[in-house]
Order: sequence, then structure tokens, then C-alpha cells
Amino acid sequence: MQMRLSRIVGVCAGCVWLVFASLPAAHAIPSFARKYGFNCTMCHSNFPRLNDFGQRYRQNGYQLPGRENDEKTVLETTTPFSARITGGYDYEKFENTPGAENLKQFRITSVDLLSGGLFATNIGYLVVFPPKIEGSSGIAAQPGTLEMGSVIFSRLSKGRGSIRAGRFEPAYDAFSVKRRLSFSPYEIYDFTFPGGIAFSDTVDGIELADRGGKGMSYAAGWINGSGTNSSDDSPQDLYLRVAKVFGAGEGQTAGQRLGMVGYFGKARPLAGGSRESFDRIGIDGSLNFDHWNVAVQLLRGSDDSSLWGTSSDADFSGGFVEGSYLPSTKLVGFGRYDWVSTPDEINQDIRRWVLGGRYYFADQLAAHLEYSHRRQDNATEAGDATEKSLFAGLDFAF
Amino acid sequence: MARIVAGPQGLLVATARRAVGMRRRRIACVLVGVTALVAVACLTTAGAQQFLANGLLGPAPVPPNNPQTDQKVRLGQQLYFDTRLSIDNTVSCATCHDPATGWANHNRTDTGVKGQVGGRNSGTILDSAYMRYQFWDGRAGSLEEQALGPIANPIEMGETLDNVVRKLDAIPGYHRQFERVFGTGVTTDGIAKAIAAFERAVISGPSPYDKYLMGDKKAMSPAAVRGMNLFNGKAHCTACHSGPMFSDQSFHNIGVGMDKPTPDVGRSKITSDPADWGRFKTPALRNIALTDPYLHDGSEKTLADVVAFYDKGGIPNRNLDPLMLPLNLTTTEKADLVAFMEALTGAMPDIRAPELPE
Repeated sequence: MQMRLSRIVGVCAGCVWLVFASLPAAHAIPSFARKYGFNCTMCHSNFPRLNDFGQRYRQNGYQLPGRENDEKTVLETTTPFSARITGGYDYEKFENTPGAENLKQFRITSVDLLSGGLFATNIGYLVVFPPKIEGSSGIAAQPGTLEMGSVIFSRLSKGRGSIRAGRFEPAYDAFSVKRRLSFSPYEIYDFTFPGGIAFSDTVDGIELADRGGKGMSYAAGWINGSGTNSSDDSPQDLYLRVAKVFGAGEGQTAGQRLGMVGYFGKARPLAGGSRESFDRIGIDGSLNFDHWNVAVQLLRGSDDSSLWGTSSDADFSGGFVEGSYLPSTKLVGFGRYDWVSTPDEINQDIRRWVLGGRYYFADQLAAHLEYSHRRQDNATEAGDATEKSLFAGLDFAF
Repeated sequence: MARIVAGPQGLLVATARRAVGMRRRRIACVLVGVTALVAVACLTTAGAQQFLANGLLGPAPVPPNNPQTDQKVRLGQQLYFDTRLSIDNTVSCATCHDPATGWANHNRTDTGVKGQVGGRNSGTILDSAYMRYQFWDGRAGSLEEQALGPIANPIEMGETLDNVVRKLDAIPGYHRQFERVFGTGVTTDGIAKAIAAFERAVISGPSPYDKYLMGDKKAMSPAAVRGMNLFNGKAHCTACHSGPMFSDQSFHNIGVGMDKPTPDVGRSKITSDPADWGRFKTPALRNIALTDPYLHDGSEKTLADVVAFYDKGGIPNRNLDPLMLPLNLTTTEKADLVAFMEALTGAMPDIRAPELPE
């Protein structure tokens, strides 16, 4: 078996080498870039983070703004498949963290398969599927659930407005979880009541978005919400986001973007029971100064007591401040501080700081170095849970 | 392969081996899947891209109703350099589209007959055969259509087409040539076709960029290669400057002149379509280093100025193209882009002013 696996790995590596060697000097790799013959940096300031152009492209339903009638459908262009793989040396040390295993090894940390394109003018789609992988030495486990699978109908009226339906990353994530520079999670986006929906989750439902004049944008969604709802619970989670960009740009690398979000949902407690209310209110800013970006997210949550099993409603707050320096398309450095403040009855405040950088050998191949330290107060009876992680590896897409 | 060994301990070993085997099979499946994906994605790339690549120029297209002949091109060359096409015999096509200055000129906007100053910068004639539209607002759909425009334009050559026909027909050398080429005396149609045929022959030779594409990796400087990657990436140039001529052969509002009280509205004057308000043709970029100043009003003196204009995201206005965004380019990146555009300069055709018929 060892021999056979080695042979398969060898054959695969050979095939990949042959395919790449036989290609003309290709500039762009993943499917959107390949479709147009663009470099990745057309849409990404530093892959995977979108620049302002990429943001507009995404909002326009995966069509170049202003050139919708020139677009080709998914059947007329290159095969719209891409993959993203991350792997390298992974050091993770946990204390007082039940279920977490310390790690010191080289391993593939994630594999995503992606497909995107247009079915017709103004009808686009995106699918992101991390294949199911049983965790083992050298490769991290993946559950194999569909991460995204959505259709977007864009330019609904007078060249404006869009509807996104299916499973997608919701607009209330002011800072994309899927396209952030760091691998460490945004703590406040992950924080939720047991079994509840986290801001970092992709959602199932429908989202309407529109752009007004003077840099205004709006989005509203109606989604299933928490996984603790039963299958015959009708969706009752709604959200609304309003943002404004001051100056030219989308607030990604140009312009100053300020936003507000409100999320109002109903969920059953993990242990069962009637549906109870919870909400999130947040403000955010993405500020750009020369080649610096400062991202700020503040979020406040209020959950019915039964969702936490506490005697009174759980009000928590948190956020993050992230600074990134993008001196060129080759290099980016970032640092972030996350915090979550919980009520006394929960008393599990979280603090995380992250420091890292990426160097791009090519647009779609980055060396990634990141150190992160996390502490969660009173996570177990033994004391605070801590996590120290260091990742040094490669992140590539093709 | 795991062997089943008799006894409970042996069974445990076999089960463990089977589990390891399963895991390996899964890893193998993932690897095979990813490899297949790479192969499918990469091998289906060729020829299926959205836009034409910024590649090599093929032969210039020639309309079937105006085939190229040497005699016609020679006649067109004479007409091109002849000031007698203008009302006061002072302005020829070459006055504004001078071979010595990249078949354009270095004036911000041009001066026509009687010292009148036009509102737009002269585009180059070089390689214009490859352009679908002529003039900044694209009002001519062919070189034949374009050729007569400046003659009748009151600011440029200020002559009527009837007068030009009469004047030229009275010149025996022209009359003879028109008879030979078109089988008639001088006609407006003949003038247009001859000038267009000549312009179609004004083609630049391979540029360092072309040589680079053909495999000479030293043909472009490292700065120009970096600029090429920026051109097709962070600087977003290829979104409009695509294809062998570095033009999408379309029209965009990038905000040029939109800070003026009465801006030139460009294409919308031709189409009456409000969507075309402030839009101008995407100019070709081959030989662009030779044809300063730039943009339709000649408002930017150098390529570096043009890059700076784009870096700011153009000038805001009610119809600014959504592709226009601030670029956040570094000083080096700006210089690299200029180096790349300079590498688009090809060898000039050896064409000079001919002896004119009397």
C-alpha cells in the first residue's frame, strides 16, 4: 500500500508538472482570472483579499462592471474549476482545551474546490466545496459540507440591485471570513451560543443588495439561521447592512468605508425548547491610508437566557482591530487584536492577537507565516484555555 | 496489503492496517481528484478566454470593397501629404498626423486652417487599420469613412468635398492616377479609398513586447516585465486595453475634462445615448510613447502623468466608468508601467512625403 500511495503521489506530481510545463506563460490561474486572461492582482490586492475592483466584480454578480454585455457564459469560456490548497508546518499548543490536540507537524491544512461563472448575462454562481477529508497525520480533517453554493441575479433594475440565493457568505460579514489574510479566525465572528449561528458561518437563504449614490450600499437577508432550529421551523432570521464609502473606491484599498449591521434571529436552545430571540448590532470601518489598511469591527450581541442556559439574557460584546500593510502585490504584513467580553455568568472572555505576513512568489502562490496567541478565561475548571499557534507554509490556488 | 493473522492480536493489527490503508486510499483519492481538476482547468484554457490577449498583431484587415494595391497606396500617400486638400492649401493630413512624431503630433490639440484650434488631441495613424472605430468619439466606422472627415471639418481643413474633387481633378497627375486606380476621374469615394489604403499600410514593426512574446525574454527590461504584470493586474489596464492593439475597441468615461464647466461629452453626441455621456474610444497603446501629450484633450503631458491620472481613479462624474478606481500604485510600480508602455514601441515604417503631382 505504501508503494502504491507513493506511486500515485508520484504520478499525480508528474501530471501536474506536465500540465503546467505544457502551458503557455499563463498569467492568471483561478477560474475567474483564467476566464479573462487577467492576473490575480486584477481583483485581489493580495490573494485572497479582494481589492476595490474585485469587490465591484463580486457585487456585480461576477461580471466586469459596465461590460456585462460582453461577458461569456460558463459554457463559452474556460472550465470554471479552481482549487485552493494550504499546507506547511503547523505548530499548535493548547492548554485546558478539551478536544484539542497539540500539533507539531507538516500537513495540508485545507483543500477547497471552487467553481464560479455566469449562466447567462446577469446570472452568476459560485460554489465552494471543501472535500471530505478524514483527519490523519499530514492532513487536517474537513467535514465535506458544501461551504457555498449560490446563484446571484444581478442588475435587476436600471443596472442596479442583486439577489443572491442559496448558501453564501452574508453581507453582515463586513470583513470576509473566506478572503481574510490571516488563517486565525475573527473571534467575535465565531462567538455564539451553543449550537448557534456564528457570523463566520455561511448561510442558507436569500439576500438582496443594492447600491445607492454617493458610495452608499445596502443589503438585507432572510436566512435559516441557527443550526439548532428544527427542519420544520420557518426561517425567521433577518439582517440588514448599510455602508458608505467616503471617497473613490470600495473601502478595500481605497476610500474610507463605514458600515452598520443589525441581525435579528430566533433559535432553539441546543438542549431543545422553544425558539427564543437573539440579536447582533455592529459597526465597522475599513480605513485606507496610502498602503495601510485599518479594519475595525465592533459587535454587540444579546441572546435570550435560555440559549445559554443562564439566569438572565446574555449580553456580550467584542470585535477586532486589524492593521495591514500592503507595500506591493508581493508582500503584505498584518497584525490583529481580537476580543470578546462576556457577561459575568458566562465569564469566558477571549483575547487573541495575531501577527503575520505573506510573500507572493506568484500572484497565486504565497508563503504564509503567522503566529497567534489566544486566551479564553475560565474555559475549564482547570483554568484559562490558551492556544499558541505558528504556521509557516504555502497557500496556493490554481 | 494487510494480512489477517490468526488470534485476537492479529485481528487488531489487521484492522489497524486496514484503517491506515483506508486513510491512504482517501489521500490518494484527494490527490487524484485535485490532479484531474488541475488538468481539466489548465488544458481547457487555450482559446476560451473572455478577451483577446494582448498578443501579436496579425495582418491588417482589409475591406473587400477596397483591396490594397501598390498604385492605390501610392496615390493615397500623395493625398495624405498634400496640403491642397485644405481650403487655403496650408493643412494636410500629415500636418496633424506627422510621421516624424509617431504619425500624430505633440500639440495638446491641433491647429487647423486659419489658425483655428480644435478640441481634441490627434490620434496616431500608425496601426489604425486595426481599429474598429476612428476618431475619439468613434464617429467613423472605417478608415474610408474617417478619411473625408477632416477635409470637410471647418476647423481642420475647412474645404468642401466638391471643391476638393474639382481642385484635384484639375491636376493632371491626380486625374491620371485616379483613372488608373479607379477607372474614373477624382471622386470623393476614390479620395477616401486611396487615403484609407495608404493609412492601412502605415504599420509599425515588432516592438520589444512582441519580441518578448516571441520568446526573446531579454527584449524587455525587468521593469517593463514588472510593468506588464501590473498592466494585467493591479493597475487594471487590461480591463479596457485588451487585445493585440491594447484596446477593447469600445468607449469609456474615465473622467477626462469632467472638471471643466462644459466638458466634451464624446460618444453621446454621436449616439444620443445618455449611457455614452463622456465616453471616448479606448485608444490603442502600441507606439504610445511617441504620441505625447495624451488623452482626448491632450491634458496629460507624459505617460507618467497618465499613470498618475489613473492612479487617482480618474475624475469623478455622473457617468464615470465603474472600472475606474484608485489604484494605490507605488512610485516604482508607476515607473514600471511607463517602462512597459515604452516597450510597446515598434519599428517605424520607412515612409516619407512623396513628390506631389502637378
